[in-house]
Amino acid sequence: MTDALPLEAELTAAIDAVAVGGASLDFETWALRIFAHQFERNEPYRTACERRGVTPAVVARWEDVPPVPTAAFRHHELTCGPPEVVFRTSGTTAGPAARGAHLVPHLDLYRASALAAFREFVLPDGARPSCLFLVPAPVLRPDSSLVRMCAWVGEVLGGDHEWLVGEGGLEIERTLQQLGECAERGETVLLAGPTAAFVDLFDACRTRGHALRLGPGSRVMDTGGAKGLRRPLSRAGFFRECWTHLGVAGYSCVNEYGMTELCSQRYDSALVDRFRGRNLAPRRLLAPPWLRTRVLDPDTLEPVPPGATGLLCHHDLANAGSVSVVLTEDLGRTVGDDGIEVVGRVAGAMPRGCGLLLAEGAPG
Amino acid sequence: MTPPAIETSAELRARIDAAMRARTRLATRPLGETAAALAAAATAWRANAELISALPAVARLDPTMVAATLPLVAEALDADAMAALVESELGTGAITRPAPTEVALVAHVLASNVPALALPAIALACLAGAAVVVKSGRDDPLSAPAFQHALAAVDPDLAATVVTAYWPGGASELEEVLLGRADVAVLTGSEPALAALAGRVGGRVLTHGPRASVAAVGRDGLEKAERVAHAVALDVALYEQRGCLSPRAVYVESGGRLAPRDFAERLAAALAGITERLPPVSTAVEERAATRVLREGSEWTPGTTVLSGPGGTVVYDEDPSFRPTLPARSVRVHPIASLAALPALLPAGHIECLGLAARDPCDLVPALRERGVSRLCPVGRMQRPPLAWPRGQHAPLAALLGHSGALRCTVET
Repeated sequence: MTDALPLEAELTAAIDAVAVGGASLDFETWALRIFAHQFERNEPYRTACERRGVTPAVVARWEDVPPVPTAAFRHHELTCGPPEVVFRTSGTTAGPAARGAHLVPHLDLYRASALAAFREFVLPDGARPSCLFLVPAPVLRPDSSLVRMCAWVGEVLGGDHEWLVGEGGLEIERTLQQLGECAERGETVLLAGPTAAFVDLFDACRTRGHALRLGPGSRVMDTGGAKGLRRPLSRAGFFRECWTHLGVAGYSCVNEYGMTELCSQRYDSALVDRFRGRNLAPRRLLAPPWLRTRVLDPDTLEPVPPGATGLLCHHDLANAGSVSVVLTEDLGRTVGDDGIEVVGRVAGAMPRGCGLLLAEGAPG
Repeated sequence: MTPPAIETSAELRARIDAAMRARTRLATRPLGETAAALAAAATAWRANAELISALPAVARLDPTMVAATLPLVAEALDADAMAALVESELGTGAITRPAPTEVALVAHVLASNVPALALPAIALACLAGAAVVVKSGRDDPLSAPAFQHALAAVDPDLAATVVTAYWPGGASELEEVLLGRADVAVLTGSEPALAALAGRVGGRVLTHGPRASVAAVGRDGLEKAERVAHAVALDVALYEQRGCLSPRAVYVESGGRLAPRDFAERLAAALAGITERLPPVSTAVEERAATRVLREGSEWTPGTTVLSGPGGTVVYDEDPSFRPTLPARSVRVHPIASLAALPALLPAGHIECLGLAARDPCDLVPALRERGVSRLCPVGRMQRPPLAWPRGQHAPLAALLGHSGALRCTVET
């Protein structure tokens, strides 16, 4: 056991309280407290802030907390204390040295954030599905933040759970067998993993002529988008194939947007909107109250007008143990007053993301 | 200015048939007449006021950039240079003889990252004795018809062998006709675009995928650091760095009059100076975002210094590994102990041109050829490729005619 840092433990409790509907969260107050905390304890971050003349004394709004680019996680140990775990970004082309590392000193905070958001956006109906994860087991990929999140989901929110990616990649036959058995029993299933794994699964279903019909309430959570896909697949095509091969309707397909560098995730609004009777709302990526995203003009780093495209900059309070404000290499836009859409990735940006989990050999 | 509309496959087929018939009428014409006509047309084309006026908007370039680059394209179609190319590739006296006959139809599917790619495409096909169809890219559907128009004014018979067309990519019926009939299809564009087209070609296929270029400054080049920095800045700025001949990295030899990092500062200053003559165009959010990501990431990378200003972004980077920047006038400057170490740093098959400020580049040629580099030239001339440029290391006429030959890496002085 490591000693919990007081602020992080306090924030964990606050997130837990929000998750059970018992409290609201004053984002700005927390953001400023956390900035002061990180400025004090995170030396590389403090140095960068001082170079820009930014200190806690001069920051009055959460929007003014300086961001760090994702590239910084490739070169510096951005942590406020000894890490309990180090998560590493995926990516194959530039080798292990080019991978970003997110040092997380307080794993309970990540756990609280991840589970609360997952429950809110993927299981808003309180279902406890059987979980089939199209990712390696934690023993194979202890440094994957997605795998860690899936483990918690399986343990806390699911019925039982299975890991369907082995050292050789997605175990297609076992996956089809598991899905077939679940379908036969009419079980509610959560099938979760990188979009690329779903494409492999769809192709296998097509080749074998499988058209499964998973039980009522079954749902899909995919992440990673186009990264690592063996063939192009539009979002509409993804929904179509989920229906054709799994019997899961598009409104039960939830895309997750997450990054190794963040302890919080955004999720497709489809399922929670449907559950709350907002069927006509546009699909968008929603966040829990402790994650805010600004869409910034690349030239000025000021917010673009609503709906315009810019660089995504996330402010994640659950990153209290490292750096909360992360300037990404993703392009996106706001949708409505509570969501965003990711429209692409900066051209030439280093390939990364959980879509590449399948392309990597699991460590021995 | 409106590009010619070809809306149906029947129409395209008819125009190809007409161009093929026109080609047969030139069977006895000496190639020197063809070269002279092409050169005269290029001279007229570069003065086409309508083109000069309309091209900036479609090509997403500032009018000053269009005005600066059209002459560079036209000058490659110099009659003497074409004669030299023909004699060099087809043999002594070839310029006085009729064109080769083995290839009847060349199809060019052009990218449009830089404008006017149609001119060398048309000229080379004409010199190879083929009728030619040029399918322009989205950002420049104007240059090709403007050149054909200029050619028709000086040599209607030769112009009749040329078909210029534009349609949005993915018009499969038109593409089937074009790619199915060509003896040789020359495809330029992104890897996915090439992959989508190459499998449908009936004849031979030549592809030109994405490539980049680099510049290098030797110790002796640093003796004239200001001039060299300006020349490199010009190579970076022209075409807004969108072409395969645009340098994305500059390697500077250590131990000279100027430290590599100081050269990086001169280069940043030179880029800023160029904006007066060639103001940068407002770029798409994707390109601006790439620049921001480069700047922000570099500030957090040990061993790097960001020197950015209104003229662009120069990143001084002690790590010599080649990591190309993206367009928008951004470039990395790397120190290097000796230029002899440069070829090993370049990714094989990805570098088209090396712009050089050094006294004697010949020692580098064998190793650069091995890495896939096709062209060495002085800095300041990277964006002025001659028609004889062996793009992709292939002699241009021989490639069209299907003649095999050694991979080339030419040295321009």
